[in-house]
Amino acid sequence: MALRSFSIQHIALAFITGLLILVSLIGGFAAYQTRTVTGNLAQHNQDAARAELTSAAQRLLSQTKDQAASLANWDETRQQLVMPEYYTHWRDQRVYESGMLGSALARAALYAPSANLLAPGSKQDFPSRLPADARRGEAAAWLANEAGTIALYQAFAVYGDERKQTLLGNGLIRVDFMSALQGQQGFHFADMASIAVTLAPGEALPASELFSRLSFGARPDPDQVRFQEILSRTLLALFVLLVVAAVFGLIAYDRLLVRPLHRLSDDIDAMQQGRFSDARARSLPLRIAELENIRRSLYDYQFQLRELHGSLEHQNREFHSQARQDALTGCHNRRAYDEDWARFREELKAAPQDVAFLLFDCDRFKTINDTYGHAKGDRVLTLIADALVMALRANDRLYRLGGDEFATFLAHTTPAQARQVAQRCQSLLDAASFKDLGINEPVSVSIGIAYCPADQLAHVDELPKLADIAMYTAKQPGRNRIALYGEDTDHGAQTLVASRETSALFQALATPGLIELHYQPIHALPGRHVTHYEALARIRYQDGLIMPGAFLPVVGSRRLETEFDLAVLHQIDADLSSQRLPAGKGVSVNLSAQSISHPEVISLLLELSRHNARHPLMLEITETSLITQMVEVRTYLDLLRSLDYRIAMDDFGTGYSPLRYLVDLPVDIVKFDISLVNKLGQSDRAGKVVTDFVHMMKNAGYVLVAEGVETEATLDEAERLGFAHAQGYLLGRPAPLPQQTPAAHAPGAVSAA
Amino acid sequence: MRAFLLCLLLSALPASAHAAIVRLEMRPGIPASAEYLAGQPDKPAVLLLHGFLQTRTFATVATLARGLNDAGYSVLSPTLSLGIPNREKSLACEAVHTHSLDDDVAEIARWVVWLKSRGHRSIVLLGHSFGSMQLLAYLAGRPDGAVKAYIGTSLIEAQVGDTARGPLIAQLERQVRRRERALVNQPLSFCRNYLSPPEALLSYVRWDAARTLAALKQAPVSTRLIMGSADAMLGRNWIRSLEDLQTPMVVVQGANHFMDGEHEFDLLEHSLEFLARTR
Repeated sequence: MALRSFSIQHIALAFITGLLILVSLIGGFAAYQTRTVTGNLAQHNQDAARAELTSAAQRLLSQTKDQAASLANWDETRQQLVMPEYYTHWRDQRVYESGMLGSALARAALYAPSANLLAPGSKQDFPSRLPADARRGEAAAWLANEAGTIALYQAFAVYGDERKQTLLGNGLIRVDFMSALQGQQGFHFADMASIAVTLAPGEALPASELFSRLSFGARPDPDQVRFQEILSRTLLALFVLLVVAAVFGLIAYDRLLVRPLHRLSDDIDAMQQGRFSDARARSLPLRIAELENIRRSLYDYQFQLRELHGSLEHQNREFHSQARQDALTGCHNRRAYDEDWARFREELKAAPQDVAFLLFDCDRFKTINDTYGHAKGDRVLTLIADALVMALRANDRLYRLGGDEFATFLAHTTPAQARQVAQRCQSLLDAASFKDLGINEPVSVSIGIAYCPADQLAHVDELPKLADIAMYTAKQPGRNRIALYGEDTDHGAQTLVASRETSALFQALATPGLIELHYQPIHALPGRHVTHYEALARIRYQDGLIMPGAFLPVVGSRRLETEFDLAVLHQIDADLSSQRLPAGKGVSVNLSAQSISHPEVISLLLELSRHNARHPLMLEITETSLITQMVEVRTYLDLLRSLDYRIAMDDFGTGYSPLRYLVDLPVDIVKFDISLVNKLGQSDRAGKVVTDFVHMMKNAGYVLVAEGVETEATLDEAERLGFAHAQGYLLGRPAPLPQQTPAAHAPGAVSAA
Repeated sequence: MRAFLLCLLLSALPASAHAAIVRLEMRPGIPASAEYLAGQPDKPAVLLLHGFLQTRTFATVATLARGLNDAGYSVLSPTLSLGIPNREKSLACEAVHTHSLDDDVAEIARWVVWLKSRGHRSIVLLGHSFGSMQLLAYLAGRPDGAVKAYIGTSLIEAQVGDTARGPLIAQLERQVRRRERALVNQPLSFCRNYLSPPEALLSYVRWDAARTLAALKQAPVSTRLIMGSADAMLGRNWIRSLEDLQTPMVVVQGANHFMDGEHEFDLLEHSLEFLARTR
């Protein structure tokens, strides 16, 4: 499983966030602990307040009790009970100025032994009669709710003697309990305002039960509150400080680490994409020493890489140039042609313009090469290339397509300008010093020109083919070696382009089965029995047959020899596979010289070799003079011969099959053209030359075939001269295969057809 | 007069093995107490009276009582009730003083009678300060025949401070006549704020220096004064006036009003010396 990569900025953010969360958790834990401590302190405060309040209340009760005891033992108290004339003075002044009652919150009253209040008419809050409970106990104490005021009463008895046998009367101290309690010193924990005694109005409560009715609240501990405030402020300040520190840390982290790392990362990405950072960025030092070391190392590496990249680019350009340059002539090669032509066509789509395509082919270069050697031939090609380059315009490129074939395409040109360029090429070639090479015969170049105006760029892909046709025209005898397609090409060829036959040809090439093969018997001599059939192509088109004389010129003019041969071979394969041809009978197939070197044709022939056992196959090479790659062709023919193919040179005696090619090629059979066969038996010099030629070829070991035998005299003469085979209308016309297998017909049905 | 002996309580002091507390109901509901120290029967009994608003436990009196008793004299030290049942503490100046000099003299007489009831036929009255004056007031009345002699220590009249005594007496008499009972706040003796009904106050105010000297001069028994030369509470010419009266008098040099400290022995010595000559 691939590990996911994280941005350092995300890691920093995650770290800061984690840190803040951790601090928040710690703060929360501290707050929780603080709250717990605060709760404990509050409980402690509550307990302390209870203890404090209890102590204060007990102290107040004790004080009141002590005051009662003091009053009970005070001489002047006894004085008032026996002589109460100045009782009010005693009650209102003496008890206070003497210190017997500490504050005005407490008042004292005396009761006669009859329990009646002394001076009852005076203004006071004491009961007029002493409660019975107070009389029974010497120091009875109770609390009472008197119109909302909690009063504490402390009773005391006054005796006239130490033995307490003589009761002079009773006394009562009344204290404003709440005020007196709040006046007690030392309250630190109890909230004074919250102290209350729950008593119903008029209800009396024994002092001993006071604490069951005493309610209170704890006063917030100032130290605790201050502690909490300090702690809260500290936590808040710490959090704010941490946040600020985190922000600054993040900024510093971003400035010191993230940005430099991003810069380094971007630089590395740019380096990977072949882009290099500018010198200004490289000159900025980094604050982090390790990063600075990385930066220096990276930029040193980048510098070295840049130099290496520059060197590689230079080498690459050289390689690119070399890969697109013809090593011999120095002009552009076929690869450069393919790329430039494809790019040029793309550019035309965006910027339409007039285009001319020029195709150059050295005339008789094979002869030169064979005559003067390959070294001279190479020099010839070099001089041709130099001359053509000089003749072309400054921005035009010359491509060597192969062998002695060159091409160029001219932009922004007219047919006339293209023709001028072609003429300039020939002029420079004419002026070239081929004689310095020891070549005495003239070296010329045929130039085919195809032109496409800007408004017909849809046909621009056809320019090479049209230029080839034009060049084919230019090579024809009588031409001035420059032909512009459409102007100089044959009318027939032009009409063929648009004729019924052209359409039929292209349809036949695209549709298997439309090419129909008629088989003409080849008889062995003497004996005149059929040993082979020559497959002759017809095109079935619109319920009719188009004969070779009609479509072969189109094939030649459109340079469709290979495509046509492939179609014929496929049809032969189908015919032989149908087994409608008598077994043991060989089949002769016509192949153009151009197709022999075509790999696809060779591959198909290798496949067809499986029929050799049933039908020995023979290949008739036509137009051998057009063979340019002799070495390759010879190799292929040797290969085919090893597979029991027999090789025949067709149309021997015409300009297309010169004697020289017979010598170079591995030919088994020579088929004499009808023009020579017709000379057989004549007594003139031509007849003798043909006769001698037949003898010479026979003596050389070639198997001879006489084509176009139409008369018995010719046949007899051929037989006499030693021709091994003969064919012609006299022996049998070409006929299609029967629709049924040979088993249903008598042998020789084909020849009879 | 109904008198009764309440009880005799053994004193906590080892030297007072014969001490007893005597309680007499001076008026209805107002018992008073006295300490009785029994002495030799052949010696006169001493009725020792404390000073103004004090009790028998006052140091000068208590010490003198022990000294006299140690010398073989029976000593009765009463605490005047001053209108308070079983008064045991000195009475504050600011208290309501309903008692009068007549009440004091009556209580003295009761105690003289009590001594006689105890078989003492020769009684010497010995007072300190205001008590000396109160004993003179007793002697000025109809003293018991058993009273044979009088010793006045630090004798002082009823001082009224800066108040003019004449107008004061006149005002008080007027209030008495009018039966006004409102308390009067008047400096008396060492009290700056002595609160008392007019009639009771008047009984004391009348005993100015002249009346005191007269009572001394006219005392029906042999008298002896023991005064302190450093007594700051006395009037400016009081010693001289006493000397002019030619009353037997001993002036203890350096002694203050309370004759405390080393002068306690002088007081005892002079008292014993006088008692020794009394039968």
